[in-house]
Amino acid sequence: MEQQAGIWQKINKTLGSLKLTLFVFLTLAVFSIIGTLLPQGMTEQDLHERFGPGLGHWIESVGFHDVYRTGWFRFLLLLLCVNLVVCSLQRLPKTLKLIRHEEGDINPDKLLKLSTHVELTTRLPWEETRSRLTRVLSDGFASPKVSLSSDTYTAYAIRGKWSPLMVYVVHSSVLIVLAGALFGSIFGFKGFMQISEGASSDEVILSSGHQQITLPFKVRCDDFDVSFYDTGAPKEFRSDLTVLTNDQPVHRQTIRVNDPMSYEGITFYQSSYGNTLKLAELELSDKAAGISQKMTLRFREGGSIPGTQDRVQLVQYQPDFSRFGPAIGVVLQKHGQQESSGSWILVNMPDFHGNRIENYHVKVLRTEVSQYTGIQVKKDPGVWLVYAGFTAMLIGIGLAYYTSQRKIWVWAAPKGSAQRVVIAGRANKNSLAFEAEFTQLCERFMNDLK
Amino acid sequence: MNSSLLLSVTTFGYFGSTALYLSGVVFRLKSVLTIGSLVALATLIIQTVGIGLRWKESYDLGYGHAPLSNLYESLVFAAWAIMLLYLIMEYRTRQRTLGVFPALFAFLAMAYASFSTSVDAKIQPLLPALKSNWLIAHVITCFLGYAAFAVACGISIVYLIKKTNEAGDKPGAMMAMMPEARQLEELNYQLILFGFLWLSLGIITGSVWANSAWGTYWSWDPKETWSLITWLVYAAVLHARTMQGWRGKRAAWLSLVGFGCVLFTYFGVNFLLSGLHSYATQ
Repeated sequence: MEQQAGIWQKINKTLGSLKLTLFVFLTLAVFSIIGTLLPQGMTEQDLHERFGPGLGHWIESVGFHDVYRTGWFRFLLLLLCVNLVVCSLQRLPKTLKLIRHEEGDINPDKLLKLSTHVELTTRLPWEETRSRLTRVLSDGFASPKVSLSSDTYTAYAIRGKWSPLMVYVVHSSVLIVLAGALFGSIFGFKGFMQISEGASSDEVILSSGHQQITLPFKVRCDDFDVSFYDTGAPKEFRSDLTVLTNDQPVHRQTIRVNDPMSYEGITFYQSSYGNTLKLAELELSDKAAGISQKMTLRFREGGSIPGTQDRVQLVQYQPDFSRFGPAIGVVLQKHGQQESSGSWILVNMPDFHGNRIENYHVKVLRTEVSQYTGIQVKKDPGVWLVYAGFTAMLIGIGLAYYTSQRKIWVWAAPKGSAQRVVIAGRANKNSLAFEAEFTQLCERFMNDLK
Repeated sequence: MNSSLLLSVTTFGYFGSTALYLSGVVFRLKSVLTIGSLVALATLIIQTVGIGLRWKESYDLGYGHAPLSNLYESLVFAAWAIMLLYLIMEYRTRQRTLGVFPALFAFLAMAYASFSTSVDAKIQPLLPALKSNWLIAHVITCFLGYAAFAVACGISIVYLIKKTNEAGDKPGAMMAMMPEARQLEELNYQLILFGFLWLSLGIITGSVWANSAWGTYWSWDPKETWSLITWLVYAAVLHARTMQGWRGKRAAWLSLVGFGCVLFTYFGVNFLLSGLHSYATQ
């Protein structure tokens, strides 16, 4: 049993130790460096292409291609939290005791042991000495607690009493931020929507994995607009959005970069834009069979070639296909055949010999292109916790910087025809600044006790 | 008179003040140090006017934004912040001997901004991503932090030289003018704590801004990550101080490592890694 307690104590000590803190800080830093040097989110295939099968496999197995989501990294964060909690629990009682402690027994021997102290004698009368000591202390430092016995005077004053607690504020703020992040990642989501001008959608593709979720309402993009500076640099991206529930407009808002829309706890951010095909008019001709037909198709919808039972569909669109200009991916399903075949048809090069699927030569006569807007969609119920943590952190670090706990003790007693006075002080940090403050205060004492 | 003229003068001013501070320390001449301070102060005032004029000029061009939007402007602001912090510290501690490194850093930042061909000094319009009031808060807080770390780095170098000198057979006379090791250590600590406060503010303003612009307060973008690395290293410095055996030289070395991280966050990430902050290379 005793040995067990010993081990427990050791673990407790290690978990709360500063060495562990430094270790965690520096290891987190090293892992983060790896994460910035190695492109994150690479697939297994990318890794093998770039680093060869051996190294690539090794990187994948340790998870360096996705450092921030690995067990390693999460374990380090957890260790940081445990370290914070254990260390704070170990030290807090002592700190609280020090704050409450008022040094009941003040005697000159004890005061003279402190590194900042001054001893002086004055010929002022005993009563006058006492009142002047109290006055200087409360004017020049802080109002003191005075105790008087028959022949001794003691005073104790403190400033920045709560300053040593600021460290704990900062420590808890880190926990709050991490808790907020965890809460948000469990109960929120982050994804992407692509909506063509005039179209509406309620489907969000999640950024983690390839899952999709459906919003309880639809979002319509009424208009998208980009404006440019004279230099050609983009000036503003803007989407006019309408929220629809049961196809009825319920909310209208314009979003820009830096100016998102929030609706029912879900926020929409302007993130990207691009062109997509709306419809195209094709001419399909088969010289051998003497067929030449024109047809207009909407993007992604299919139709039969007039006079035949073959079907075509516009499945893909690229605004610039290998620098040959726009191209449409067309798929042909021949009647009676199992497999369909497809090809990229170059829009601006009607006579290109590759504009052909099976027996048909395909010519694009006309296209209508519409813009789409790319919207980042997010729901994060933990963000307020994170912000609260941020605030606490700033207050904590700020006060830790600007305040320190300083204590001053004064002891005086008659000695012969004069009075002996001992003044001493202690600060929890910034000892040089405190020494200067102490020296200044002592000068006031000396002047007043002359 | 235009801003680029004033900012050119600034470059030479900081060069002059570096030279004066250095000769003051080498030849142990207090009067030269005083002239060094005066030149530094005059240059800071000229630079302040220069930055203000550049702000106004951007309005004249019809762009109208604070001069904190690209690499050139941030370098100029970094030099300004370093010298502002240093001169306040000099005024409060009455120590002119520590001016060599801050003035040198400020000069190097200005020289790089003015003479490097990869840094464009033209006033450019603001990209949509930067059009936010957060820009000013984010850049100012980050650079005040960086500036404090730069001054702390200078002090750490002086501290390490002093400690090495003291350990050697013949303590250098040059170091005799410098403040005591204990004072250097405490100044270093205070500057690092001050820088840590502003770096935290910088990271937090960046984070809140990112959340309002892109919907995510943390995305492990290289710049973000490197600022976190810097934060972790300085957090380690602050904690190391309270530990036996980690004070003094080790803490000073760690502070140099921290400043290395600052430099990498600032330059390395821009040129070697890609991410959200790519506009900072232009």
